[in-house]
Amino acid sequence: MSALLFAACPAAVVGQSAAHFLPYRDSIPGTLVSFEMIPVPGGTVTLDTPQGPRTVSVGPFWIGKTEVTWDEYDIWAFRLDLAGRVPTDSIDAVSRPSRPYGAPDRGFGHQGYPAIGMTYFAAQTYCAWLSAKTGKRYRLATDVEWSRAVQAGLGADTGWTPERRDALAWHAGNAGNQSHPVAAKPPDALGVHDLLGNVAEWVTGGVGSADGRPVVRGGSWADPADQVGPRARAAQTPAWNLTDPQFPKSRWWLADAPFVGFRIVLLPQ
Amino acid sequence: MTRKHRRVVSRREFLETTAAATAAVTLPNTRGPALVGKARKIRVGVIGCGGRGTGAMHDCLTSSEDVELVALGDLFPDRLAKCRENLATMVTEEANSALKPKIKVNDRNCFTGFDAYQKVIASKVDLVVLATPPAFRATHFAAAVAAGKHVFMEKPVAVDPSGVRSVLATADLAAQKGLAVVAGTQRRHDPGYRAAMERIHGGDIGDIVGGQVYWNQGGLWMHPRLPEWSDVEWQIRNWLYFTWLSGDHIVEQHIHNIDVANWALGAHPVKAVGVGGRQWRTDPAYGHVYDHFAVDFQYPNGAHVLSMCRQIDGTASHVGERFVGTRGTSDGRSVIEGAAPWQRDPQAPKVNPYVQEHADLIASIRAGTPLNEGRQVAETTLSAIMGREAAYTGQVIVWDELLASQQELVPPDLNFGPMPVAPVAMPGSTGVVRTWRGA
Repeated sequence: MSALLFAACPAAVVGQSAAHFLPYRDSIPGTLVSFEMIPVPGGTVTLDTPQGPRTVSVGPFWIGKTEVTWDEYDIWAFRLDLAGRVPTDSIDAVSRPSRPYGAPDRGFGHQGYPAIGMTYFAAQTYCAWLSAKTGKRYRLATDVEWSRAVQAGLGADTGWTPERRDALAWHAGNAGNQSHPVAAKPPDALGVHDLLGNVAEWVTGGVGSADGRPVVRGGSWADPADQVGPRARAAQTPAWNLTDPQFPKSRWWLADAPFVGFRIVLLPQ
Repeated sequence: MTRKHRRVVSRREFLETTAAATAAVTLPNTRGPALVGKARKIRVGVIGCGGRGTGAMHDCLTSSEDVELVALGDLFPDRLAKCRENLATMVTEEANSALKPKIKVNDRNCFTGFDAYQKVIASKVDLVVLATPPAFRATHFAAAVAAGKHVFMEKPVAVDPSGVRSVLATADLAAQKGLAVVAGTQRRHDPGYRAAMERIHGGDIGDIVGGQVYWNQGGLWMHPRLPEWSDVEWQIRNWLYFTWLSGDHIVEQHIHNIDVANWALGAHPVKAVGVGGRQWRTDPAYGHVYDHFAVDFQYPNGAHVLSMCRQIDGTASHVGERFVGTRGTSDGRSVIEGAAPWQRDPQAPKVNPYVQEHADLIASIRAGTPLNEGRQVAETTLSAIMGREAAYTGQVIVWDELLASQQELVPPDLNFGPMPVAPVAMPGSTGVVRTWRGA
């Protein structure tokens, strides 16, 4: 199916040598941590919008094979790339998260688990940091790109049967009330894991939100099965950060959204 | 079995105080500020205007109708100014727009300096929120109750046995005066914990024979010293890292989990043995506190609870509790496994315990049945101090002896000026009897 999709979308690699539009592995310099990126061919997607269905075209891009894991996120969030024990707390304070008061992984698991509970701002800032580290322009997916990745990897909505859902996605009916290691479920046709379910994923410019604010896509381990799917889209509510006891509330951490994560994309040069 | 040990307290003088206070509590309350009429507004003053104090303002004003914020106090003018800015921002947020008419703060009712607390208490307030670093809590609590004010106070409520004794006495005085006292151990107001505890106390896991409580996480914020700061100012602005100010992280943070253990067992520990140290956070910028503790707490029924806490970056985080009974186990808040299995509905409506604790406090004032959590939180505070002292000294710490001990870490008359940093505690040579004079 993967080959079929590539063949069906020759325009996807316009301006890009097809030979170079391949999966690749990148690493965070100075660490042993790496991550994989999967090419998504361009195409058109039809989105639900408040004004009705809208068809848009999207160019090719790479998307993270998995949701960003704690292994990656920790290096930035907990300054593991900075000099060890010297008090550096005020240095770089603008672009690094505040120290979380508690266990950010909620005890679900850490190594190999998706990073959770970050604000949209934090996810964006991570991407900016990763870009500076690697020299590549990583960013969050747009709402449209994310939809395209699902369409390319999973096919039309009509193919999203309960059987496929249970096989491919963690939802409230099979997740045991917590997130799971990334890629514990099989990949889709592109080789991407957990686009639907496990953690809902931050995307920019939510086409489906009335004001174009960021949304999370795909549903999560906390959502009932029927709310995990290609069309699942949710905007942040006050309940996501109800119990942050400080004011102002953290701009980095969401105290009550352990179901939110993200994945990264990269455009061809 | 656990219930009869609920009040295993201390030495004779405390038994006497307790007996007198208990008698007073049982008398019908016919006077005093508890009789705030339903129609009357409750006027709130807040002492300690940092992030938590400002958050507590939000929570208190959100919790109930007819509540007004009318006085603020903080040691530092810059912190108070920042708090007022944050309040102005708060009411611009859609979810908080209803709070705007409840905030009656102006230049005349904002106070700074070491005596700011006295000025807040002397304002026409009914309820005082105490949210400064813990070192000051016992003094502020005593002053508030002496002046007839209801109190919400953040945990921990003391940093040393001397402070705990003071809080116990003040809590009893508050009971005599019919004043409400609620503490920021918000798990006690969380529907999940309450539902699980009801089952645990009802025998659903049988008799508790053991448990584990954890608060393991990375490091917290630190403000690098500025040249214009005196020793005292530097330490207070970095209060987490000085035992005389915070009690150390086992007392400041892990107290929440130790409180859950005391709640589950219906008692405080009678004995503690522990280890701990300062292995990673060794720079002088982090004062003299430890970065990890592990303590074995022994309860009156013979149960042992292992307590573990850590603040070291790059290490596994875990915050939670677990209790093992003769018929099952529980996490104390959502699940019971064993003979009487139970799971809290994950889709149950979310209640914010930080708001609920204020709602419960204010409802109790209006009903004329004031809650008084003072003794409970003082006992939990001493439990955590017990763990700290077990690790600091390397000795077996016994409740009664610790409660009566001459440990007084907070200087009585503070001014901005020189203050040496007490040495890092060394097991085998550090003793329980310590005072600020020896620092």
